[in-house]
Amino acid sequence: MARPGFVLEVDERTPPLLVHSGESFRLQDFPLGSRVIYPPESLPGVPDVDEAIEAALLHPIDSEPLPSLLHAGMRLTIAFDDLSLPLPPMRKPDIRQRVIEHVLEHAARAGVDDVQIIAANALHRRMTPDELKAIVGERVFRSFFPDNLVNFDAEDRANLAHLGHTDEGEDVEISKRAAESDLLVYVNVNLVAMDGGWKSTAIGLASYNSLRHHHNSHTMVHSRSFMDRHKSQLHSSAWRMGRVLSEHVKVFQIETTLNNDAFPSQYGFLTKREWEWSMRDQATFLGAKRGIDLMPAKARRKLFQSMEAPYLVTGISAGAVEPVHDATLERVHRQQLVDVDGQSDVLVLGLPYLCPYNVNSVMNPILAACLGLGYFFNMYVGQPLVRKGGAIILNHPVPWEFSTLHHPSYVDFFDEVLSVSTDPKVIEQKFEQQYATDPWYIHLYRTSYAYHGVHPFYMWYWCAHALDHVGDVIWVGGDRRAVARMGMRSASSFADALEMASDTVGRAPSITYLHSPPHVLAHVK
Amino acid sequence: MAGGVVDVTSSLVRDVKQVARGWRWTHRQLPPRSAEPHHVFPEAREFPTDWARSRVAVAAREAILRGGLTPLVRHETTLRVEGLDVLDGLDGPVIFVANHSSHLDTALLLTTLPPEWLRRVAVGAAADYFFDAWWRAVGSALVFATFPIERGGVGLSETPTKLLAQGWSLVMFPEGTRSPDGWTRRFRLGAAYLAAHNNVPVVPVALVGSYAAMPRGRGWPKPGRPPVHVRYGRPLAVQPGEEARAFGGRVAAALGTLLDEDRTDWYGARKRAAAGVTPSPAGPDVARWRRVWESSAGPAPVRRRPRAWR
Repeated sequence: MARPGFVLEVDERTPPLLVHSGESFRLQDFPLGSRVIYPPESLPGVPDVDEAIEAALLHPIDSEPLPSLLHAGMRLTIAFDDLSLPLPPMRKPDIRQRVIEHVLEHAARAGVDDVQIIAANALHRRMTPDELKAIVGERVFRSFFPDNLVNFDAEDRANLAHLGHTDEGEDVEISKRAAESDLLVYVNVNLVAMDGGWKSTAIGLASYNSLRHHHNSHTMVHSRSFMDRHKSQLHSSAWRMGRVLSEHVKVFQIETTLNNDAFPSQYGFLTKREWEWSMRDQATFLGAKRGIDLMPAKARRKLFQSMEAPYLVTGISAGAVEPVHDATLERVHRQQLVDVDGQSDVLVLGLPYLCPYNVNSVMNPILAACLGLGYFFNMYVGQPLVRKGGAIILNHPVPWEFSTLHHPSYVDFFDEVLSVSTDPKVIEQKFEQQYATDPWYIHLYRTSYAYHGVHPFYMWYWCAHALDHVGDVIWVGGDRRAVARMGMRSASSFADALEMASDTVGRAPSITYLHSPPHVLAHVK
Repeated sequence: MAGGVVDVTSSLVRDVKQVARGWRWTHRQLPPRSAEPHHVFPEAREFPTDWARSRVAVAAREAILRGGLTPLVRHETTLRVEGLDVLDGLDGPVIFVANHSSHLDTALLLTTLPPEWLRRVAVGAAADYFFDAWWRAVGSALVFATFPIERGGVGLSETPTKLLAQGWSLVMFPEGTRSPDGWTRRFRLGAAYLAAHNNVPVVPVALVGSYAAMPRGRGWPKPGRPPVHVRYGRPLAVQPGEEARAFGGRVAAALGTLLDEDRTDWYGARKRAAAGVTPSPAGPDVARWRRVWESSAGPAPVRRRPRAWR
């Protein structure tokens, strides 16, 4: 029986607590009385994944069973979430592979010849063949790559379809192949409450022309939070677009949920509550930390990036997008939701080595900010964990380091844009168009493995709600130059960070530490 | 290079120290209080104390108690022992049941027992206190022959029953903890239950003055050799068909009579017991400070016997 999540109040019995900090972690003593939010323990997986997939496909929610939607001569498109999900990547076989294989079994039985499989990467970078194969599996890869297993290209004008406008005038422009199919099957991995629903198709398969309507500073500031669909303008926009989309194509949505087994068993201490660490866990921590800290940077990155999570599948739902997503959210909440009473003056976050946009890559300062202020800050429903005008203390080294292969536009954004302004609204007005339409960035996005030119703007907009809400952002252990470029401050230790934050929150602030990963969603009352 | 090695070593030492302190390597690890409702307590593993009842340990204990602790107790307190004759003629294990108000109590009891009893007696001690840290557990098991008793509502372990079956007598303090004001608290039923189920007699022992000599918070008796009395009472046997609860009541009453006897005289105490008017050992129902005040006075000093010949 998995124990629920809870809020710990630090007392004299509380051992130091694990805090992630990029490609390392450490133990941190917290002041007495600090609150620590622990996620629920991992839920058990479904007993038989294949059986669960079949049950979902044959008994979908508000839809005919999948076999009855398939017939010879039809155009079938299967889209799936790209490598930004789940985090860390899932131990093979990936759940998307298993679902896609089941869908294809039915398609083969129905005699469907025209099948295309598209990675719904929107403006994310293309995935390499190996990365595609890791997700869809060898059988699917061998059968469909390269012609019919493709990355979505949001800059291929010839293969985009403008489906019209929402009632608020938003362009709905997505993959032409998907829009003109007889059936669009979407295979999702729902790691957090933000994923899935109409966000899968209306965002994952959309072009810049469509994305700009919700990926902007105004929408982001008014998405409170991204994890609460009904209070997220981003999701409202995606839902409006989805309804336009559904007038043109039949969408069969398949959503899967995972439990909280985010780390391999040898790193079991990372998901255990600290006071329950055995002597072995303590020894493993000491050994792992020492080993990691002594490793050359390259080897350390390789070690972390090669980590695969032994996630178990907690459920699979299929059918009409909205009711399927409601069922998904119920499972995600069961795994991640924790009730929290009220806000605090200071929110402490430990940022791990990975965010959705640096899989097999470098977490540059913008991505680190996006992970902390965009994702972790938004892990709430109700109200933010930190009060308006409070302080956020982030733990991450924020190295001034970029992948020129994956994040070329980030380099220029960091140098040229953030040195002029860090205000999301200002940079949106002054620079976004230039980066979004830059032919060199578009070329790299289409032909290399680069994120789209506008992507760093989106990352900065993700931070907009947090930047608008809090009075101070302090990075513990962050590179001073990199942090200063982002308009924030760096502290050498947690004690120093609290000292610095005292200007904003006083000398005896209430402190909340969001103990994540694994994911925890705070329901702040 | 050398500097790097020093840095690595010192940071490792720092981490190890942090882990050792945080996870209380020298103590029993306890979950934070707010985590207790969500904590799955591992099945309690009793600290092994068999070794403390081996021949070598018994010999060592006797040497420590006779050679070290007894002279120390007699040097630091004015000790008066009464009623040891009740042990004459007793054959086989008994359970010594005493009131408890000081860390001095175990030492008083053990240092006043005749050697043949001392060699075969074990003391029930709170697992969460005396067995909280390994060094304290080892020390108390060696010197006082303690075995752990869980106070947190967990059932009795098999150890005391096993000890009685092996012919070991037990010392138990049925109040469960030291009295905060020197007066006797409600007795728990563990000792009576053990006696009833193993059919062994209970010897009540009144310890008087230990609170005044060394109350909670003190690690050494007060200066001035404060008076302390150890008074052994007649053994109580479980009657056929008698329930542990009823027997426990009799034990508590016998201890109350012993305390009364210590304050007054044997015959008067017997008369009051027969009339059912023995003063409550729980003390008067007055303000806490008055209870503490009275207990702190200790027993009346022993009057020097008038000399027959001057």
